[in-house]
Amino acid sequence: MQKQGYSRTAVILHWLLAVSIFFLFISSWWMLGLPLPSKEMQFRAFPFQLHKNIGITLVLVIALLLYVRFKHRPAPVTSTAMKPWMHKLATVDHIIIYLLILATCVSGYLSSAHTRWDTVVWWVLEMPRIAEANEDMNEFYSDIHLWTAWALLGVVAVHISGAIYHAFLNDGIVRRMMRW
Amino acid sequence: MATSITENNSSVTSRPAWASALGVVTIVLGVFLSAYHGNEVMKQAVMVAHMPASGELPAAECPDDELEEEGLTVAECEYMVTHIEGIALSTPGWFPGVQMWLAGIGTVIAFISIIVGGALVNYNPLASGGAVLVFAVLILVDVGQFAAVVNTGPILRDIYLWSILLWFLIHLMMLCAVIAGRQGNGQTT
Repeated sequence: MQKQGYSRTAVILHWLLAVSIFFLFISSWWMLGLPLPSKEMQFRAFPFQLHKNIGITLVLVIALLLYVRFKHRPAPVTSTAMKPWMHKLATVDHIIIYLLILATCVSGYLSSAHTRWDTVVWWVLEMPRIAEANEDMNEFYSDIHLWTAWALLGVVAVHISGAIYHAFLNDGIVRRMMRW
Repeated sequence: MATSITENNSSVTSRPAWASALGVVTIVLGVFLSAYHGNEVMKQAVMVAHMPASGELPAAECPDDELEEEGLTVAECEYMVTHIEGIALSTPGWFPGVQMWLAGIGTVIAFISIIVGGALVNYNPLASGGAVLVFAVLILVDVGQFAAVVNTGPILRDIYLWSILLWFLIHLMMLCAVIAGRQGNGQTT
């Protein structure tokens, strides 16, 4: 018999992902207001490096989450409160969220890869240079990074609205992602 | 007390609706608050690490390519330096340390509130008691931050006070909600 909810690993990864994504949003709004970097002003160095580190780690986290979710599929929802259109919306919303997280992370990395700044993952592992500094490519990927991030915020809002809706109905659907 | 409308899980009916709703709200806000406090810790650490003791920064460097990339004017680029300088000049020496401690505690408790929210949704025996404790500590953090910011100056009050007040009121409402829910279920606070 299938379990009612997602596996504990999937639950932990899901909430870790959620906190990380909102941290990246809030911190990026702040760090882009810091003075532009110069020899004497390095306010941006740590926040940008941390932003890149978390973004790179998120790709691994989401890959692991997808693996765990496909390996341990929970029982399908049978609640009458979940109308067919809601089920379709939830499925599409999940797929778009995954795609947008990946697109945001990858475009962020590619944007950074075309600057003169190196990436040292968690200040330990130096990422090999995959491209020379190129202003046009940096701006191209930076624009993709920006717009996928805004789109992600939009679909996450839909995702949260769905969770709150089912929580107030108390129909047991959100409990699937609350197994500690 | 409202009951569930689920047809496939009879155990759900024993879980009160208020706990399900409050639990998910707690989780969502816990996610936001963890990120918010975590960012505050980083802000203070970065400011302390990079601000010269004199509080005066060198002139802004605003190369054309960087301005174009970030969509900035020269005036905006220069203001970014002045803005940081202004914040540093209006920050008392004790403030970053206090703020880092409070935000650090806030980050940990906010993360714990996500777990407590999950426990509320599942309505574990200790969930509502844990929620009372977590909301009370978060209120104390808010009050501590409010008191700290009030004792700085108008620039920091402008930056911080409204969001701290908002979080304080949210945590107060959540504490009242969980206390009312416990009383409705015949538990004591």
